[in-house]
Amino acid sequence: MTELFLSGIVVWLAGAMASLALWRQPSAARRVGCGTALGGSLLVLVGSAAAIFSGSSAGISLPFGNPVFSWAIRLDPLSAYFNVTLAALAAAVSLYSFGYLRAMEGRRNLGAFGFFFNLLLLSLALVFSASNAFFFLVAWEVMALMSYCLISFEHEKKGTRNAGVLFLIMSHAGTGLLLIAFLVLASASGSLDFSSFHLLASRLTPLQQGTVFLLFLFGFGVKAGLVPVHIWLPKAHPVAPSNVSALMSGIVIKTGIYGMARVFFDFYGPPPLWMGTLVLGLGVASALLGVLYALMENDLKRLLAWSSIENIGIILMGFGAALMFRSLGYANLAALALIAALYHTFNHTMFKGLLFLGAGSVVQATHTRNMERMGGLIRHMPVTALCFLVGAVAISGLPPLNGFVSEWLTYQALLAGFGTTHSLTRLMFPIAGSLLALTAALAAACFVKAFAIPFLALPRSEEAADAQEVSFPMRTGMAVLALGCVALGLGATWFVRVFDPITQQALGVRASSALVTARGLALSPGTAHGGTISTVGIALFFLLAGAAFALPLAMRWRRRSVSGPAWDCGLPGLTDDNEYTATAFSKPLRMIFSALYRPRREIQAEYEVSPYYPSAIRFESEIEPTFEKHLYDPLRQWIMAVANRMKGIQAGSINLYLAYIFITLILLLLFGVRA
Amino acid sequence: MLMTHVLDLQIGDRIVTLMAALVLVLQIAMVAQRWIVIHIRIFAAQSFFLAMIAATIAWFNHAPHLYVAAALTLVVKVVLVPVLFERLVKRMGIHEEIEPIVNGPLSVVIAGGLTLVGYVVAESFYRPGEPGLGHNALAVAISLFLIGFFTMINRRKALTQVLALLSLENGLFLAAISLTYGMPMIVELGIFFDVLVAAMVLGILVYRIRETFESVDVSRLRRLRG
Repeated sequence: MTELFLSGIVVWLAGAMASLALWRQPSAARRVGCGTALGGSLLVLVGSAAAIFSGSSAGISLPFGNPVFSWAIRLDPLSAYFNVTLAALAAAVSLYSFGYLRAMEGRRNLGAFGFFFNLLLLSLALVFSASNAFFFLVAWEVMALMSYCLISFEHEKKGTRNAGVLFLIMSHAGTGLLLIAFLVLASASGSLDFSSFHLLASRLTPLQQGTVFLLFLFGFGVKAGLVPVHIWLPKAHPVAPSNVSALMSGIVIKTGIYGMARVFFDFYGPPPLWMGTLVLGLGVASALLGVLYALMENDLKRLLAWSSIENIGIILMGFGAALMFRSLGYANLAALALIAALYHTFNHTMFKGLLFLGAGSVVQATHTRNMERMGGLIRHMPVTALCFLVGAVAISGLPPLNGFVSEWLTYQALLAGFGTTHSLTRLMFPIAGSLLALTAALAAACFVKAFAIPFLALPRSEEAADAQEVSFPMRTGMAVLALGCVALGLGATWFVRVFDPITQQALGVRASSALVTARGLALSPGTAHGGTISTVGIALFFLLAGAAFALPLAMRWRRRSVSGPAWDCGLPGLTDDNEYTATAFSKPLRMIFSALYRPRREIQAEYEVSPYYPSAIRFESEIEPTFEKHLYDPLRQWIMAVANRMKGIQAGSINLYLAYIFITLILLLLFGVRA
Repeated sequence: MLMTHVLDLQIGDRIVTLMAALVLVLQIAMVAQRWIVIHIRIFAAQSFFLAMIAATIAWFNHAPHLYVAAALTLVVKVVLVPVLFERLVKRMGIHEEIEPIVNGPLSVVIAGGLTLVGYVVAESFYRPGEPGLGHNALAVAISLFLIGFFTMINRRKALTQVLALLSLENGLFLAAISLTYGMPMIVELGIFFDVLVAAMVLGILVYRIRETFESVDVSRLRRLRG
């Protein structure tokens, strides 16, 4: 198992080198880069899946290194689970890339792309399996650098470069927080090995405990896209090539989730109650703000990026609830909430990867990310449309697909929380639960927009009218993920067993047998007032009901069907100008939440004869970027002011720089003598 | 037999202290020196005494591999580097005086102050009763290092800064041999190789700086600032 995993890593490494060496032959570089990415993914997938069920946490240490910084890898159930998530997505994305990158041949350096791509996968796998803080941070930084290179791959656009730099700055700031936190832990344990950190954090003083917790929360939160450190995500994810966006939103942000899971449930024992409450609160804020901003987007990929923030929020709600249950001593409920969060992590990887691949297909066919210039694509791109629809239904949390199962589990965990304590914090649970319901409803509205505007009705531009279905590998990549979404929904009762080794390790509970009822056909949270669902049953019901309605319709259709033009209110024919636009679709919500959005709009009409007959109308509408304006702009100004003041010491003179070093040295020497 | 050995050690200690004092005096002389060729020759003389210190320690403490270090010091720092630099000076036609940033008398006063700092710092390392060379050698070593550093700050010409760097390195060498009676051979070889390469690279660099800026005055590098 570990051997398979390691051989996958070696394949990725070899693929990175080989595709770089082949950079002069774009076609060969593309085939080698994508082929090794696919092969490595399959090896890691099988190796990690076997490792989850073997129950042992096999460890291995690479032969170079020293006692402090060992290159140690350990595939415990949590690591293996995230590696499975990674490998499943990476396999599909690699398949898709065979076709997607062909359009770039000759225009871009595909050798470099294959190098970055394979190394990104490699570093992700190492982040998920490193068991030494130093090794972990090395893999973490390689991952950040490779992400940066891939985000900035189309670097001739200024927006892309700016987004890449913003990502790099925030990522480094986050790593800085992590470094401090790991150093505090290491100084307490005397070692950098993760095994020595087990339950260590709870033995620190309360002040240290809280500080380390916050450092980890925001250090990992930056990568995950936690509000308020999320601002890089909606800028950076859309500008990357779409197969990279799928990886970024699908799995790279999950490294933050993995880090939190590792810290919260491995390094910490039962935490103080405020920690869980804080995570739950931030989760609610991320989910709600993420979906609200997603609703306002007309850029298809940016909409998906905002929706990633929403889903990270849902996952963190599960984590928060699990932490609170752990503080209150309800191990079974904690396991339920943890399962919900981890299940949603996998699900989000599947459907967000699928949606980004679908968006990539659409963008490649129409050459625009603006939904207002799409429309009617379902006629030219039926397979892409179907796959995108599956993803949209799954992410909206509709049964019987996978998003429904994990959101339902989260919801059940939150509802069960109300009876666990008598303090005021118990109010958190129903509030969070109702806000989760609101989030899910808004997400459904958001994805009605994301599917209907590009795919339905009439084309809004010539590019959309001339769109072609994408190539076979791209369709296969999307179909694999769509099937994954269906399987994770219908096979929910089978899949929850995967979490047994994880909850056993983290909380000492095996929860799946309590969750599965009705001879393995239904899920039930096993709490007092919990509900019961069966995705298989729902799917069967839909099939039967659909058949019951469709059969008579189909029979009558054959007998007398008359086709005529659609009612056009007496206008001379319907054109794309009569269509519902993306902006108009989200108008009601823009009005309801105007306190948050602070929308600004400007209408300028030009007319020649009378104001009733304008010859041209210019319409501009935008919403206020709240966090940038009220949090990051003041921060940036402050940093610039401090930097300006510090510019004085940079005189450019060697003698002065030597003097700085000299004075520092003398002071240190005298300080050392005194001490 | 034992008595003579202890006596030997005491004599050795005195000889080392005497030569260390000479090395320090030469270092201070370098601070005040205005002519570049004489500056190079003082450096050669200082390195010569350093080699003698190494040889003395090797003789009295029976550390034969220090002879190699002494020989290398002689070859590299007393012969090779000074010859290299004097040729460089001739080729570039530098005749002008060194223009220090702080004037001569004040530099000497500062160097005296740094010697004091060296003794204060060395004092904290000194454990009475422990065998070893007296704390004079270490104090001189630290003073050499600090004064060398100060000289680097105090010079405008890249070449004289390189000389200061090499005298700073002499301080490090003295500290190493006076504390440990010589590091492992391989470390010393590495250091000498380092010094030689550094001298050559810096020599080339100085030449390049002159070609580009038509001066070896490092204050002109200020133009490189963005």
